[in-house]
Amino acid sequence: MRYYVIIFWVALGSLLIKSIFLCGFSSRRLPRWIMNNLDLIPPAVLAALVAPALVYAKTPQGVEISLPQLFAGAGAFAVALYGKNVFLTILGGMLLLGLFSRLSGLFG
Amino acid sequence: MPCNKNTPSSAPKAPTKGQAFLRGGISVLPILLGVFPFSLVLGFAMKQSALSPLQSASFAASILAGTAQLATVQLYAAATPGVIIVLTALVINLRYAMYGLSMEPLVRGKPIPLRIFYAYIMSDQSYAFTMAEAEEHPERPHITSFFLGASLVIYAFWQGGIALGYLLGSVIPSWLSLHFTIPLVFLSLLIPHLKDGKRRFAAGAAALSALVLVPLLPLQTGLLAAILMGMGGGILYETFAPSARDARNQKEEEKL
Repeated sequence: MRYYVIIFWVALGSLLIKSIFLCGFSSRRLPRWIMNNLDLIPPAVLAALVAPALVYAKTPQGVEISLPQLFAGAGAFAVALYGKNVFLTILGGMLLLGLFSRLSGLFG
Repeated sequence: MPCNKNTPSSAPKAPTKGQAFLRGGISVLPILLGVFPFSLVLGFAMKQSALSPLQSASFAASILAGTAQLATVQLYAAATPGVIIVLTALVINLRYAMYGLSMEPLVRGKPIPLRIFYAYIMSDQSYAFTMAEAEEHPERPHITSFFLGASLVIYAFWQGGIALGYLLGSVIPSWLSLHFTIPLVFLSLLIPHLKDGKRRFAAGAAALSALVLVPLLPLQTGLLAAILMGMGGGILYETFAPSARDARNQKEEEKL
């Protein structure tokens, strides 16, 4: 039940956000500094989601830094930067993670 | 009489609604290579978070908002309080307000219920392609049909990808650490936004804040805090970095 309550509010709120200006609510009612900074949302959101997920791994003891993930993430960043392709980035990142996990298994 | 599509000379000056719809649908085909893996990952994540098929399908149908959906599933699996999940998802979706704002001139004269439907099926990709079409070919009519075609193709592949990912999620071996695909998707979505110093600084500030705050703050509030820190960082950067300030002043002068 808790799940459905959550997705109800996520869906309703998102639809409201998506449709509010499309339905003609004028932007003039918003302060200019908000309008000028809306383009900050995507990079801030995505970077905040990416960084911890790339660096930390969950272990039974809690959260710790994972070197294989860190290196694979750095490699994937390079692939994303030059490849500009989601599929290549996923493939590269997963291959690198497999490689570095195996290496750390050998030396750790 | 069926017209021959292959003769360029028969291309009419004013395309019909159907043709605009078709062109919209075709225009987004190349981007499906990027959308489809993302939806597969979302399907995997739903399966791995032990959501039931009904729970997954109802969430998939309720809204089209990729990043926020993935974050919601992740946070839900981490037993985050509902208020934090909803707030985080809505902050992530704030960018759609910006999309709606810039697309509003294209839908003028359309009834409100139809506009709400447009909002429902709007995706990052269909928005971007529609705005590009309107920019390059302002003379072409039926831009909303173009938008509809682009959006529905993305929508269909998105939902199909979630279903396929969910089904594959139960057969994929667990040693393949698929949870790692989630940040990889976000990473490739992040790159195109790192266009200027202001946005790069915001991303860097958000990333560093997240690394510190996410393990530190309870109940997954660290993510929300880090997003706000990143946006605040970007605003400060623009206020204090001389080059960014000049760029903004120039932009404002153009508006006046």
